[in-house]
Amino acid sequence: MKRYGEHRFPGKLFVVEGIDGSGKSTQLMLLHQWLKAEGYGVVFSEWNSSPLVRDITKRGKRKHMLTAATFSLIHATDFADRMERNIIPLLKAGAVVLCDRYIFTAFARDVVRGMDPKWVRELYSFAVKPTVTFYFRVPLEVAMKRLIGGRNGFKFYEAGMDLGLSEDIDESFRVFQGHIIEEYEKMVPEFEISVVDATLPIEVEQAQMRQLVKSKLAQAKRLRVAP
Amino acid sequence: MRETYGVVLPGMNLEDLSGKLIVIEGTDGVGRSTQIDLLKPWLEQQGRAVVDTGLTRSALAGKGIKQAKEGHTLGPLTLSLFYTADFADRLEREIVPALRAGFVVLTDRYIYSPMARAMLRSIDVGWLRNAYSFALKPDAVFYLRIGVDDLIPRVVFSRGFDYWESGMDLHPSEDMYDSFRKYQTALLARFDELSAEYQFDVVDASADVDTIFRQLRDGIARVLSGEPREPLFGVAGSKEGSEEAAAKKPAEMPASKGAGSEDGDSKKPQERTATQT
Repeated sequence: MKRYGEHRFPGKLFVVEGIDGSGKSTQLMLLHQWLKAEGYGVVFSEWNSSPLVRDITKRGKRKHMLTAATFSLIHATDFADRMERNIIPLLKAGAVVLCDRYIFTAFARDVVRGMDPKWVRELYSFAVKPTVTFYFRVPLEVAMKRLIGGRNGFKFYEAGMDLGLSEDIDESFRVFQGHIIEEYEKMVPEFEISVVDATLPIEVEQAQMRQLVKSKLAQAKRLRVAP
Repeated sequence: MRETYGVVLPGMNLEDLSGKLIVIEGTDGVGRSTQIDLLKPWLEQQGRAVVDTGLTRSALAGKGIKQAKEGHTLGPLTLSLFYTADFADRLEREIVPALRAGFVVLTDRYIYSPMARAMLRSIDVGWLRNAYSFALKPDAVFYLRIGVDDLIPRVVFSRGFDYWESGMDLHPSEDMYDSFRKYQTALLARFDELSAEYQFDVVDASADVDTIFRQLRDGIARVLSGEPREPLFGVAGSKEGSEEAAAKKPAEMPASKGAGSEDGDSKKPQERTATQT
């Protein structure tokens, strides 16, 4: 069983992390377009997307059945399925894999829910270490402003309503995300995460990302030569 | 106060869990559920309220595991985490509330079966120990121990070979019989390792149903009477381990049953007898 940092694959793994409203998904989409145009074999993988576990997670969330422990373990199961059946084979084959959220999302959320930080890190120790992890650092107020109007209210677990932080879902979201940011900041030095200032113009952030990604792509396979 | 094997889950109060947590462990087809069906009414006759539970019976993940296993597409880590999620759900929603209410919780397997299975699928034992470290330490683990030669006829003449119980995911080119023999032999070896580490009370499961029942009944009666957790029928495992245990307090043994035909079976009772006298 290979642990974090022990895998050796020809493919490359790029990860974006950050709270909702940090703009990370937009940036990953732009990176995806660019890598495709450059002729790389690039695959996008989303958090919480394993077909096997998704239905259980959905049902658990809908019925508010999940505790901190089962929330953590169900997400770890989902992640393991994607890791074993999707991400690792792709990396073996030399693909560029892009992940919108990775183990750091789990570390932040689970620890805020009261799970032991060491326990969660060991639980996910089977994960492949990313080539680069980008953390989109954004003040909570800026992220909240971006989210307002953009969507139809927060969901129960997304707002950390299971923690009883506040009766008001918007307020609960604010407090919960504040704690999540604290956890992310702790992980920046721990996991050598690259920080992107997510208050900058979109094209400026993207240029920074592309520069760093390009420097890591020496051995990745191109499907065709870029035009 | 009750203990866990490491971490304590958020919101889990370990005080006032006055019930008893009793685990029946053993490999597939060894007769665990037969014994539980006998033990439950016996306990109820004693005036004890019983909750029986078992692997993959959680409201959250139980059905999902069954469905996923039918597709035979689970990777070993995914399967292992699925079992852990199922266990956490049952621990929090079933086992702990029952213990708080003073019930006897009789569980058909606990964390050890999924650990043994995962170990055979190259999952690191250290990783498994951590994953399950939130589990409550039970009051007793009765391990129904059997050799593979005694196990095979039971399985064949009752329900036949099952894909997962035969480890067909590990040796897909073998026929079910060969694969079953290989897989269960390896699984029993892992159980013996866990037995030494977690101090199971070993019951010789090659005996007839009544004999096993009497041993379990006596063992459980002793646990319920509040005597300290001590090996009842001897602890399988390393020789040093059993000598050490014997030096502290000689374990009480029932009359030694005829040993099974398998190597492992015939060795252990001798060890026990030697340390006892």
